[in-house]
Amino acid sequence: MDIVIAVIKIILALVWFLVLTLYLTWLERKESAVIQDRIGANRANIWKFRFLGLFQPFADAIKMIFKEDFVPAFANKFLHTLAPFLSFFFVAITICAVPFGDTLRLGGRTISLQVLDLNAGLLFILAMLSLGIYGIILSGWASRNRFTLLGGIRGAAQLISYEVALGLSLIGIIMVFPSLSLQSIVRFQGENILGFIPKWGVLLQPLGFVVFFFAALAETKRVPFDMPEGESEIIGFFTEYGGLKWGLFMMTDFMEIIIVSALLTTLFFGGWQVPWLAADGFHWPWGGGRALPHGVVVLLQLLAFNIKIVFFCWLQILIRWTYPRFRYDQVMDLGWKVLIPLSLLNIVGTGIVMGFLK
Amino acid sequence: MIKALGYFLEIIKGGLITVRHFVTNMWFHTLKVLGLKAKRRGAVTIQYPEEKKELAARHRSLHRLLRREDGKPRCVSCLLCVTVCPSECISVEAAEDPDSEIQKVPAKFIIDLSRCCFCGFCVEACPEDAIRMDTGKIEVAEYRRADLIYDLDKLLK
Amino acid sequence: MPKIFIDDRAVEVAEGLTLLQAAESVGIPIPHFCYHPAFPPEGSCRMCLVEIEGLPKLELACSTVVKEGLRVRTMSPKVVEARKSVLEFLLAEHPLDCPICDKAGECKLQDYFEEYGLFKSQFKEAKEKREKKFKLGRNLILDRERCILCTRCVRFLNEITKTEDAGILNRGIHSEVGIFESEFIDNNYSGNLAQICPVGAITDTDFRFKTRVWFLESRESICPLCSRGCNIIMDSHAGYPRTLPTRRVYRVRARQNLDVNFHWICDYGRYGYAYLDEGREDRLVWKKGDRETRLSWDKAAQILSEKIRSLVHLRKNSRIGIVLHTNLTNEELFLADRVFRKGLGVEKLFLADPPPGKGDEFLLTADRTANRRGLQEVGLPVQAPDLKALSGLDLLLIFGHYLAAGTSPSDLKNALEKVETKALFASHKSGLDGLVDFVIPVPVIAEKNGSLTNIDGRVQPFVAGLSFAGDGIAEWRALLDLARELKVEHKYFSRLASPEAIYRALRKEIPFFK
Repeated sequence: MDIVIAVIKIILALVWFLVLTLYLTWLERKESAVIQDRIGANRANIWKFRFLGLFQPFADAIKMIFKEDFVPAFANKFLHTLAPFLSFFFVAITICAVPFGDTLRLGGRTISLQVLDLNAGLLFILAMLSLGIYGIILSGWASRNRFTLLGGIRGAAQLISYEVALGLSLIGIIMVFPSLSLQSIVRFQGENILGFIPKWGVLLQPLGFVVFFFAALAETKRVPFDMPEGESEIIGFFTEYGGLKWGLFMMTDFMEIIIVSALLTTLFFGGWQVPWLAADGFHWPWGGGRALPHGVVVLLQLLAFNIKIVFFCWLQILIRWTYPRFRYDQVMDLGWKVLIPLSLLNIVGTGIVMGFLK
Repeated sequence: MIKALGYFLEIIKGGLITVRHFVTNMWFHTLKVLGLKAKRRGAVTIQYPEEKKELAARHRSLHRLLRREDGKPRCVSCLLCVTVCPSECISVEAAEDPDSEIQKVPAKFIIDLSRCCFCGFCVEACPEDAIRMDTGKIEVAEYRRADLIYDLDKLLK
Repeated sequence: MPKIFIDDRAVEVAEGLTLLQAAESVGIPIPHFCYHPAFPPEGSCRMCLVEIEGLPKLELACSTVVKEGLRVRTMSPKVVEARKSVLEFLLAEHPLDCPICDKAGECKLQDYFEEYGLFKSQFKEAKEKREKKFKLGRNLILDRERCILCTRCVRFLNEITKTEDAGILNRGIHSEVGIFESEFIDNNYSGNLAQICPVGAITDTDFRFKTRVWFLESRESICPLCSRGCNIIMDSHAGYPRTLPTRRVYRVRARQNLDVNFHWICDYGRYGYAYLDEGREDRLVWKKGDRETRLSWDKAAQILSEKIRSLVHLRKNSRIGIVLHTNLTNEELFLADRVFRKGLGVEKLFLADPPPGKGDEFLLTADRTANRRGLQEVGLPVQAPDLKALSGLDLLLIFGHYLAAGTSPSDLKNALEKVETKALFASHKSGLDGLVDFVIPVPVIAEKNGSLTNIDGRVQPFVAGLSFAGDGIAEWRALLDLARELKVEHKYFSRLASPEAIYRALRKEIPFFK
C-alpha cells in the first residue's frame, strides 16, 4: 500500500511539474506580450476555439516531437543524445524533495504531501541542480562545434561561480531553522514572531533572500544572466540541437524556474504555510479563530503553495523581459565580488544576532 | 557604495516600468474579456486577417495597366520600365500597331511578381501613365510560382 | 599647311579641309546633323555654326574651307546661343516620341538637346501632323514627323548607290523626303540609310521595336559572308535585362574602314546574321552504330589521335584525308598545313566551300566565303572533293558542313560509308551529321579570334565578339590539341598557344603576311 501511495505521489508530482512547465511557456509568451503592449500567441486552436492561446504549448510540443531528430555528422552521437536527457533528469528529480503541503489524513493513514521527506532535502536539491552542469558541458562538447563548446564553458563557469553564493546564502537559513529537511524548515515558519508576524525566512534572512534570489536567477541561465545560450546574439551550448532534444533543454530551463520558485517559497516565504492557519483552522492574532475541517486546511495549504510559486515564476519572467543582458565580466564580478562577500557577511551577521538573542 | 545603491535603485525603477505596463495592459485586457467597455485596448497589435489596416494613399500595391478611352492598353512598350526595373521582373515584347498615331503596342507584357520588389520605379519611369500600383491588392501569394507571373490580360483587369 | 586657331589653339591642318574636319582632326567636336564624311557638305541643318573672327555673322563649319590665320571659336556664347536656336526650330516640328523611337539613346538630336538645350518650348501652336509610317524601302520605314531634312539619305542614294531614288519634295514647311513614282527603295545598300539617319526618321524593319539600343553591347568584328571582309559592329544583347533576349545579335552595323568598305555594308551582310543563332551544332557526340555518346573534346581528341597514330604507324598516311573550307582563319589554315601536310605527310587535302552567289560592283563579291585569298597565300594545295577519292580513305577529318552541298545525298552516303572514321568539325547542322562518327561543334568567325585575308589581300585581325556556348572547340585549338596528342613537332607547336602566337609564326614563315 505504501508503494502504491508513493507511486501515486510521484506521478502526481511529475504531472504537476510538467503541466506547470508547459504553461510556464504560455505564461512567458503572454506576460512578455502584455508587458510590451502586444497580444501574444493566440492562434493555436481546436475547432476554431482559441481560448487565449492555451493550446499553444501543445502545438509547440507536437511540432517539436515531429521535427526531424537531426544530429550533426561531426557530433559525438551518444553524448549528443545523452546531454539533454541528463539536463532534464537532474532538474526533474528535484521535485521529489519539495513539500507541497503538510500531512493528509485519509482513511486512517497519514500521508505526507511530499514525494520523499529527505532529511537533507536542501542539499539534495542543490546537488541535483549542480549536476545539471554536466548536461550543459556535454552538449557543448559533444556537438563538436567551437561555439557550442565556448557556450558550454561559459555556462559551466557561470553556474559554478553562482553555486558558491547560492550555497553560502542558505547557511543563514539553516542557522535560523536548524534543519536540512525542507518539510521541517516549512514547519518552523508556521510560528509567529511577537505572536502576529508569520516567522517567514524572508523576515529573518532579508540579506540571505536577496543573495539567494540573484544567485538563483543566475542558476536558471536566463536573461539577464543568459551567457551560456544568449538567445538573441551569442551562440550557445545547444546550437546544434533541434526538435525534441532542443525542447528538453527549453523545458529544463522552465523547470529550473519552477524549482527556484519552489525553493524561494519553501525557504523564505513559508512554503505551504498560510498565515495564522494551523492544522485545525485559523488562529487570529487578535484572539479567537475559525475552525476548519481537515480537507479544507490541506486545500488551502496546497493553494497557498501554488499561488506563491506562480507569483515567483511571474516575477522571474518579469525580470527576464525587463533587463538587458550583463556583460560576462559583470556576471563574474557580481558573483564573486558582490554576492559571495554579501553571503559571508550574512552568515557572520546571523551568527552575531543569534548569539545576542540567546 | 552609493553608486551601487543608485544602480540598484535604477534597476528597481526599470522593473516598475514593466510592472506598470503589465498592470495597465492586464486591466484593459481583463475588461475586454469581461465584455466591458474600455477607453483603449490592452495591446497595439492589429489582428491581421480579421482586422485590416487602411492602406496609405501612396501605398505601392499590385500593378495594373491602364487603358485608353477605346479600351486598348495605354502602354506603348517603350521598355523604360524594363530598363529601370532593378529586379528585372518586367518583360515586354513590342508589336506594330496599324494606327500610325500609336505605332508601338505591347504584344506581351509580363511582370514576374515572384521577383518584383515593389519599388515603384516602373510607375515613375512610365511616360504614358500606363502602369500604376494602386490596386490596393497586397495579398499577392500563390501556391505555384507560375501563378505569380502576370501577363497582359491579368494586368489590364 | 595652313595654320589656324580653333578656340585659341594653334593647329596646322591639311589644305582643303573644312573647318569641321579640321576641328575634328584635333579632337574638338562640332555638332552637326547633315554633314557626313562620305558626302560633300550640304549645309542644310545649320547646327555647325561657328564664330570666325572678323566676320559679322556665324559661319557654317561644314562648308567653310580652312585658310591661313583663321581664328575660330566653337563654344563662344554666340555660337551656343545659335545652336540653341537651331535646336529649338528643329524641335518645333519634332514629335518628341523618344519613348517609342528606336533611335533614342543614339540620337544626335537627343544628345545635342541634352548638351545645349533643356529649354522650354516657346511654341504654343499644335505640331504639324505628318505621315509616321511611310514605307520608304524594302526594309525601311520613314517617319516624316521625326525627319529634320538633313538630306543625308538623298545624298547617299545619289552619291553611293547612284540610284537616285529619293529627293526632297515640296517646299517650305511642306517639304519632305519622298520617293519618285511610288517605287520604294530596293537596292542592296538601303540598310545604310537607317544607319546614317541622324534622328529616328528612317528605321529598319529588321530592328524596329525589337529592343532598345541601351540594352545592346557593341562589338567589332569582320563580316564573313563574302570575301570583301567588311568591318562591322555587332550589337548584341548585353545581358540586361534578363527577360528580353530572343537572340544574341540584334543588328549589324557598318564600321568605318576607308580601305575596305568606307562607311557602308551591304544588306546581305547587314541582315544575314541569323546564321549566328540558327541551326547551330551544340553537342559534341560520338556515334557508334545507333548509339550516341556525348563526350568532351579532350576525350574525342584522344580517340581521334589514336586512330590517326595507328594509321601513321602502318604508313598509311595516304589513306588520311582532310576536308577544309575557306571560312577558316589564316591561322587555322596555316595550322592545318603545318600539322597534317608538313607534320604527318597527309597529301589528300580537299576544299568544300559554299556555292558562290551573285556579286555587285560595289562591296558584295560573288565568292561567299571569307578567306579564299588566305588559303591561296598560305599555300595549301587543295583539290575538289572527289567522292571516289574520299571513299578510298580510312580516316576523314571534315571541317565545315559544306561538303553536303553540291553532291547528291545518296552518293555522299555511299562514299562516306566506306571510310572507317569520319570526324566533322561544323558550326551548323547539316546532312553530314548523320553520316559521320564524330560531330564536333566549332565557333563561327564572330566567336573566335584570328585573322582573315580579304579579296584584295588585306589581312584583318579580329577578336571574338560573342561567346561560344556549345561544348565544342575552336578549330585552331582542335588542331593544336591533335598535334600535341600525336606528338608532331612538339617544340614548335607548344609555342603556338594562341591565335596571336600562330599569327606571329605565320608572319615569320610566309612572306605574304609580313
